Amino acid sequence: MSSQAGLRATQLPGFAEESARVEMDISALEKLLHAHPRDLEQRLRLAYRLFHRASLTGRIEHFAAVEVAVREILDDFGPKEDLCLLKANLDLRFHRLAQSRVDLEMCALLPGRFEARVLLADLDFQEGRYETARLGLERLIAEDLTWDNLARLAHWKSKLGDAAEADALYAQAEDVLTAKQMRGYSWLELQRGVLAFTHGDYRRAWKHYGRAEEAYPGHWHTDEHVAELMAAEGRFEEAAALLRDLIARVPKPELRQALGEIYLLAGRAEEAEAFFDSALKIYLQSAHRDEVHYFHHLVDFYTDVRPDGAEAVRWARKDVELRSNFSTQAAMARALFQNQQLSEAMEYIRQTLASGVRDAGTFSFASTLFEATGDISGSERFAAAALQTNPKHRNFHMHH
Amino acid sequence: MADHNDPNAVNHIFSDIDYSPADLYDLFGWPTSESKNVVFALTFASAPAAGVFDTDLLYRLLLTSHPRAAWPRDDQYSLDSVLQYFDAVKDKYLGELRTAEIRVTVDTPTRFTLKFMGFPCGNFTTSIDANKVVPVSTPDGHTIQAFIGGRDDAFFNDLTGFFRSINYAPQFYHVPHTMTEARELPIPKTLIELDGNDLFNYRPDMPEWGFTQLDGTTPKLDLPPGPWTWKGDKFKKDADGNFRFVYDGRDCRAKQNCNAIVLEIPHSFITPHTAANRLVNGWGESWVRKAVHKVASIPDDPSWVQHPWKTVREKELDDELQKYKLVDTDGQPFADAALSERENDRQLGANNFWLGPHFIKRLAHLGWGFGPSISALGLKTSFNHDNSPVSVHKTYDSVVEAFPRIAKTLFQQLNMPDASWNPKNLNIPLRRPFEIFIPNVCAVDMDTNGSWPFGRRLEDQVATRFLAMFLDMDAELNGKKYHIDLLGEQTLWDSAPIVPKTPPNPLKNDKEFLAEFPYLAEPWPDKW
Repeated sequence: MSSQAGLRATQLPGFAEESARVEMDISALEKLLHAHPRDLEQRLRLAYRLFHRASLTGRIEHFAAVEVAVREILDDFGPKEDLCLLKANLDLRFHRLAQSRVDLEMCALLPGRFEARVLLADLDFQEGRYETARLGLERLIAEDLTWDNLARLAHWKSKLGDAAEADALYAQAEDVLTAKQMRGYSWLELQRGVLAFTHGDYRRAWKHYGRAEEAYPGHWHTDEHVAELMAAEGRFEEAAALLRDLIARVPKPELRQALGEIYLLAGRAEEAEAFFDSALKIYLQSAHRDEVHYFHHLVDFYTDVRPDGAEAVRWARKDVELRSNFSTQAAMARALFQNQQLSEAMEYIRQTLASGVRDAGTFSFASTLFEATGDISGSERFAAAALQTNPKHRNFHMHH
Repeated sequence: MADHNDPNAVNHIFSDIDYSPADLYDLFGWPTSESKNVVFALTFASAPAAGVFDTDLLYRLLLTSHPRAAWPRDDQYSLDSVLQYFDAVKDKYLGELRTAEIRVTVDTPTRFTLKFMGFPCGNFTTSIDANKVVPVSTPDGHTIQAFIGGRDDAFFNDLTGFFRSINYAPQFYHVPHTMTEARELPIPKTLIELDGNDLFNYRPDMPEWGFTQLDGTTPKLDLPPGPWTWKGDKFKKDADGNFRFVYDGRDCRAKQNCNAIVLEIPHSFITPHTAANRLVNGWGESWVRKAVHKVASIPDDPSWVQHPWKTVREKELDDELQKYKLVDTDGQPFADAALSERENDRQLGANNFWLGPHFIKRLAHLGWGFGPSISALGLKTSFNHDNSPVSVHKTYDSVVEAFPRIAKTLFQQLNMPDASWNPKNLNIPLRRPFEIFIPNVCAVDMDTNGSWPFGRRLEDQVATRFLAMFLDMDAELNGKKYHIDLLGEQTLWDSAPIVPKTPPNPLKNDKEFLAEFPYLAEPWPDKW
């Protein structure tokens, strides 16, 4: 960046320009399809463009439009490899892991394709088969060195390996990208920033967030991380202002929860409650629609924001049944702790730690839990590990 | 060209791949009539628009001039000798040969910097505007004519016919990108339709099947489930006993534009030894700026610059090129079809020596398709197909096994249609396929008129000439030896048992070329 006062604007095209372009593409394709409604390639192209738009905006209604387009193509033409791949991506994004696997199996040869094997590696990671995921990614990279698979491996290393190695892989991924892929570059910079942030190196995090903004200006995703970093530095009013602006642009409930948490830290409890209410309402509405992707946020909410052990455990169990990994296991442990079920909480935290995850928050919670069960030396060991991983781990952080 | 039928990572043939200015179309090259100057025209996709350029792109025209070399072993048609030739070319290109370069960077969408590097007069730089003919004065007193701008695409070709001949399914069917095995379907390649070939034979109910329309759509069918096989044993004939041509001769690039870099360069600017160095080899490259260098304020991070994944080649690049990524190369028309099978990692430009053995296997594979088709039409083929009555789908793992089949095709001299290619009537050997494609350069012979394969003139119908490699150049028709334009002669088709009675590809461009620099025709008013 830039300075810690904010991020510098550049003249490069960014979020606004890409959003406008994708809307134009969608409009042109819809017009074309009006004349050629049975043109499978154009239908697929439209579905991919809709997915592109949804990925950009993060808006749930845009994702719903992709779901409709995919379902209609499936109804009209049956399963096609590229369609099933899109559907599998969509299902994975919304934590419907079993369905994602079913999608890939709808076409006999698809699971063996390069693109599907990438998703299968993602599924392995999400389902806690870490070594299988790593080996799969390494094989894919050996076959074709793509930036997204390098980034996947970097993410693996960031969670379960060495942070420096993860950063080097992100940098390698950046080197593969061209000027036509600035959103990808910006995203990688953001990941490097997150890596620095989660290790307490705020100066380096600012630098990467600054680059992310310069490379691809105006993306809410960058602002989300900047707001988090500001709050972590204790700049609550600035962070709150940025989040308020973000919420007006992107109606994501987790941003409302974050704003509420910052208001609490700033001593504005009354304002916080309104945002907690609205966040919870959206989480629950989603769950009542049988959607599963906010389960994790519901666990966090009932563990940290409005502590309710029973509710926290209820949502945590649902989530861990869908995808048992270090993240859902740690959330389960925290929920159980909240609900005074220390013995089962210990089982889950042991599972979490056995994964090899290196996360200051997890270490810190393990320290608390071990202390609660009377294992003082264990508690001290994990407290030290938390500090070593991120000396600033007690500062504000968001539930992304 | 080659890249009109080259669906690599930037080719807009793929539904979710944007039309890219890095997609090189063709490289033309020929001497001017006095043999003093050489013209090179590198054409590529007109994105964002004809006459408007993308500032993230860098284009290179690489040049080298050296003496004409005759095949030293006139009667030795062995695998060893051709492999030794590939090695010798490799040593030459990686060794003593010095390459000069004209590099174009796009400063604004209509203004460029041209860098002249490695020429005898030393390096120099100039700037020019788009869509104008600009004389560039060189330090040693030469004048180079330069034009960078929008033009009519000079390529004229029945691309759909070519795709049909090689069973290229994505032109006719919806083929997901994931299904790489469903690109060239595993049935015989052919110039005339196979009896019972439901996968690719002409459909009267869908006359536009596989032809890209002006609105950008291409009528396609749903790919039937495999296995994609053909179980017939003969070519298809209609009630009148006529074969059906897979081509219909239409110009699939009609009314379409390109962007072009056109340069007319004095030969003596390239080499001081013009009398000895009668060949000028050229090839083009497109590069796209790397993301990390897109924002000026993003510095190079030593931690990644020093990473071990950087290859030796990258270390050899100059500072400017290190900021870009090579995307596409262009030397010979149809080099991709003949050599690379449209693989991204085979975009090597002149440095395609290692593809030599692959070239032999690929040409033999094509020969089993085209050779029997040619024989069925009553013509003689250079490919040894053991009198097969119909095209055969055969691939080779072993170059040793493939070579005897294709030896004549590889080594035969390609006869020219008349004497116009050799206006000075010099003792210039006719070219042979193996030396045309490796290295992958446009090799302009300054003593010829530059007609392919002695360069490539705008008016050359190179797709038809490519097919002529499979004709037996020792054979005669009506008292005249076969030649590279034979398949373009209407009289041949008028008397052949085939419909439609047309040469495979259009005989001329849809717009008249210009008599003067920049030679390519004005662009069409719209994108198409």
